[in-house]
Amino acid sequence: MTSAELIAKLKERFGASVRGVSEINPNKVRVEVAPDSVAPVCEALYRDYGARFIITAGIDSRPERGCFDVDHVFSLDPDKTFVIVRASVPPDAPSLDSITPRVPAAYWAERELYDVVGVKAEGHPDPRRLIMPDDWPDDVFPLRKDVKHGDWPSLGEENADASYPWKPAPEGTSTVVVGPFFPVLEEPAQLRLYVDGERVIDCDYRGFYNHRGIEKMGDSALTYNEIPFIAERICGICGFIHSSCYCETAEEAMGIRAPRRARYIRSLMLEVERIHSHLLWLGIAGHIIGFDTVLMQAWRVREPIMWLCEKITGNRKTYGMNLVGGVRRDIPQEIQPELLEVVDRIEKETAAIIDAVVGDTVLKARLSGVGVLPEEKARELAVVGPTVRGSNLPLDARVDHPYAAYDEIPPKVITHPDCDNWARVVVRLEETIESIRWIREALKQMPDGPIMASDIPEEIPPEQWGVFVVEAPRGEAIHYVVTGGDNRPARWRVRAPTYQNLQALPYLIAQETIADVPITLGSMDPCFSCTERTEIVNVRSGESKVLDQQELLRLSREATERMRGR
Amino acid sequence: MIISKLKEAIICFKAGRVTLPYPFKPHDPAENFRGRVTVDAEKCIGCAGCAEVCPSRCIIVTDPSPDKRVIEFFLERCTYCARCAEVCPEDAVTATQEFETATNDTQDMHIKVELFMSTCRRCGRCYEPPTPLDRPMETGMRPPAGGNGNGEG
Repeated sequence: MTSAELIAKLKERFGASVRGVSEINPNKVRVEVAPDSVAPVCEALYRDYGARFIITAGIDSRPERGCFDVDHVFSLDPDKTFVIVRASVPPDAPSLDSITPRVPAAYWAERELYDVVGVKAEGHPDPRRLIMPDDWPDDVFPLRKDVKHGDWPSLGEENADASYPWKPAPEGTSTVVVGPFFPVLEEPAQLRLYVDGERVIDCDYRGFYNHRGIEKMGDSALTYNEIPFIAERICGICGFIHSSCYCETAEEAMGIRAPRRARYIRSLMLEVERIHSHLLWLGIAGHIIGFDTVLMQAWRVREPIMWLCEKITGNRKTYGMNLVGGVRRDIPQEIQPELLEVVDRIEKETAAIIDAVVGDTVLKARLSGVGVLPEEKARELAVVGPTVRGSNLPLDARVDHPYAAYDEIPPKVITHPDCDNWARVVVRLEETIESIRWIREALKQMPDGPIMASDIPEEIPPEQWGVFVVEAPRGEAIHYVVTGGDNRPARWRVRAPTYQNLQALPYLIAQETIADVPITLGSMDPCFSCTERTEIVNVRSGESKVLDQQELLRLSREATERMRGR
Repeated sequence: MIISKLKEAIICFKAGRVTLPYPFKPHDPAENFRGRVTVDAEKCIGCAGCAEVCPSRCIIVTDPSPDKRVIEFFLERCTYCARCAEVCPEDAVTATQEFETATNDTQDMHIKVELFMSTCRRCGRCYEPPTPLDRPMETGMRPPAGGNGNGEG
């Protein structure tokens, strides 16, 4: 179904509720609908037309048009099309019907919508805070334009004692608190497991302790060409993915395209990143289940490609390669034999690891049939990346929404029918090999030419938009840019893949044992980016003192005040 | 089971010793490495292009008097993107190979360049475009309208 057919169908079904259509190209359309018919339109897209929910972006358009815009982004994967459903809501006490009861994947997105822009999702089944701290003032919404970057709300007394309203434990269960320092990746997040004996009945999650306000910087402090460097710091492992995705999106909004050679270089670096990320993950997965040989060997195999990255880009991670319009450094002819040699060696050694690991019955027993996510549940929760491909759904942004050079060399989509932790391991291992094949192919076909576009417009008009997804090692990263004045976006919305995947956690670990929780979570390759309690031990005297939440909060606030005073 | 354990053992033995003797022996980074930046005051013409492109805003330019310009690098905030070195029209700013920058005195990470500038008293500008001074004004290198946008201005 083309987007024109889809819009005709929507118009026929919802009549005057469909108010207007804005189109970049036939594959990217934005449909403006009346606020009261957003929920039915989204339901129709999801249930009847096979669309997959991606993200919600709330935009404070009061300065320009006197309203808040809420954009629900959907993807029609087989048709390579994005459909954005936009509703404009009036500025006083803004609210909109929640779509979560009809489109379950919007669960976090709508909670965030209230947290950062203050548009209430009426009828949301779980309207708790998601992003902002518990003691954040009730009337400050950081992504509104009247909040300036660098402003600090006064943390008054009203919420001083607030703590997160955890889900009540189901009757007959005990609560096991995991975190706030998370055991899988040593990062801050908290999980409460409600267990009956060894079995997990339900769980609740609180994260975003390290929320850094990067989107706010993008629309109030940085300029178009500075954002790639901050975007790269969204994640330490898939940094290049975020900067590429932002650049492709911003280029689309500006109506330009990076030269073909630059697109090949982006794709090559993206595949390099996938190889080293999957090997890193393999090591961590081994470590979680106590198989440290895999950790040591996978990371040893990974190291040469990191050094090669340093040679090509100037750093082993955080390459700093992307700018709007192209890339900063070429992959010169003389380095290509070395790149091929490194990937050959990695292919051989990864194949040896796969050969050893796949036959390991202990490992297989530990992973098979654990953390099962059936196909229909995977679709309902809109999980992405190896998590969804391990559930036998062939979703891959490189094929579904080709970007960079993937339109010229499509990769093979790897799926596995088992839907469990084992399936996700196999998918990642096979993808590593597939990435190496892709790199060889791309080096053969890489065209000559400039690496930076020459037609970057002098002035970028406001109200232009662009949307792109990039297939990160852990799933789709999406960036949505709406241009503004002042040489910077009016809104830059980012969704990293783990955002969607973590929402599937309660389903994955229900009825599993506690011992299987770390690897099940690890199988999604989560990436988090505070504490209630901490213990201070004086090593000389051996005295220890436990700080409770109140004391720790006080200390944190004092530290914040000291930094602000600097 | 036994076979796969043997295979795993072979992988380990084949790898041998892979750790490097760093920090007991120096480790040289790759030729193109983006390390700590440095400024050659002799070459600097005071165009401030580096300050305009710096994403972390760690290069501050001030003009304490009409004929004096001060360019300061506060490198403790540097993210090592080396955009300053890239846009410098005179190659005065360069990224070095230095990466061991840990220090307990932030002064070690400050660079201050003082330049004597001459101003054209007749027209206020001395050059016909395009000059190296115009290059930092290209799209994407300009500062946003209305302040430096770092929330403190």
